[in-house]
Amino acid sequence: MSGAGKRFSKLQVFSDVELEVGEREVLAIIGPSGCGKTTLLRCMNGLIPLTEGEITMEGEAITSPREGVAMVFQHFGLFPWKTVFNNVAYGLKLAGATRAQIDEKIPEYIKLVGLSGFEHYYPYQISGGMQQRCGLARALAVEPRVLLMDEPFGAVDAQTREILQFEMLRIWESRPTTMVFVTHAIDEAVLMGDRVLVLKGRPSTVHEIVEVDLPRPRNRATLLLPRFAELREHVWNTLMADARQAELEVIR
Amino acid sequence: MTAQTVAAARSPVPDAERSSWVTSPLFLKIAAGIVLLLIWEGVVRAFAPGYVAKPSGIVRVFAAVISDRQFLSAAGQTLSAVLIGLLISIVFGTAVGFAMGRINVVERGLRYYVNSLFATPMIAILPLVTLWFGYNADARLAVVVFAAFFSISTNACDGARSVPLEYLEVAQSFRARPFQTLFDIIFPSSLPYLLAGLRLAAGRALVGAVVAEFFVSIPGLGYYILYNSRTFKHNEAFIAVIVLVAVGVSFEALINWLTRRYLPWARRD
Repeated sequence: MSGAGKRFSKLQVFSDVELEVGEREVLAIIGPSGCGKTTLLRCMNGLIPLTEGEITMEGEAITSPREGVAMVFQHFGLFPWKTVFNNVAYGLKLAGATRAQIDEKIPEYIKLVGLSGFEHYYPYQISGGMQQRCGLARALAVEPRVLLMDEPFGAVDAQTREILQFEMLRIWESRPTTMVFVTHAIDEAVLMGDRVLVLKGRPSTVHEIVEVDLPRPRNRATLLLPRFAELREHVWNTLMADARQAELEVIR
Repeated sequence: MTAQTVAAARSPVPDAERSSWVTSPLFLKIAAGIVLLLIWEGVVRAFAPGYVAKPSGIVRVFAAVISDRQFLSAAGQTLSAVLIGLLISIVFGTAVGFAMGRINVVERGLRYYVNSLFATPMIAILPLVTLWFGYNADARLAVVVFAAFFSISTNACDGARSVPLEYLEVAQSFRARPFQTLFDIIFPSSLPYLLAGLRLAAGRALVGAVVAEFFVSIPGLGYYILYNSRTFKHNEAFIAVIVLVAVGVSFEALINWLTRRYLPWARRD
């Protein structure tokens, strides 16, 4: 991945977003609700078109979903009529894998995300956390060079969310890819990202890009580092200045 | 304390129910059935002429009718017309319904016509159908298809339209081609709707076949009923009615079983 530079404006959701994501870099995108984080990510996937500017990957403009990119959705997006196994195999199957390749690879990814033994369960039979593990395995199974995460842990409860964050770090450590991680949780952004992009304003623009110089591999101990708290405070203050202003607007 | 209250409130009820087999559902069903049959038998014996169908008469001719070649062929013809008609309706009704559900232009163009035809009583067009197809089995098949088609296409359309956007987004993200999306996502996601449509269609198809036979006088269970009624063999006629009921009920049971067995996820949404 050579990097991506882009500029946008879509119904003034965001505009003039310029950035580049390096190979195997984790970029966390954070911003207040409704600032267009998810829209930006969908544009990166090519699910919706830009109205201005362009996004390129490996030198090619993204106009529709392309090979080498996979997305994990906030709503999980599992198919209720498919078992865990078939859900995980979905992307790989569409990519043209043979039955033998699927039978060989899918168990590996199911094991990686910790779902062994649940291959033949249907999504409604497993918990929200397990459903998202399944969604993650489906994305990883196509061996993407870029992984797009759309508030992946936004729909699970707080404890599961923490568990999944550390699982995600473990999995990323075992097969690092370029990752764009959209979240509205500051801790999560700082914990995951090599850089944290703060998106805000109306229309949203890149307000600040915070370098996260925390050592990898990261784990629970990372949360206790003074530097973690410092970065967390910094991002918090950056975001809150805006939130307070928004609140004042409402009061007036 | 709550637990005690619950336990106290609960215990008398099951005791009362357990103590008496008279209130068991199976017994009640059988008992009610026997009572109804007895009333029927009694009323017919007391007030009606000898040829009117009564349970004892039906039992007497049952074995002979059920093994009668003419009866079996009539049943075979009616049921195969229903099955073929349903098959045609499923294939084309689903295709038209999906096209309407997923392609706006098609939906806008066809919606009023499909809805109107769905609401049209098929008996009303029967005389016209005989003009188009003649007094033969084709007319019956046409009525069956007409009766079944629109409930399937209407449901297929609803099913295709209610596919959650999230699923389509996932398919798009994983670069599914349109026909893959159709078979991998739109079809399974619409299955509960399709089965509901099929359940409705099966009932209508059965009615359509019988009514067509009445009107067109072609061999089948409907005609068997008509002929035997007119020749004062009501017991024989009634057995054909029983067979039609059995077919309707088993089809319903089959669809319920299919739903439970193959669509366990459908009830959870």
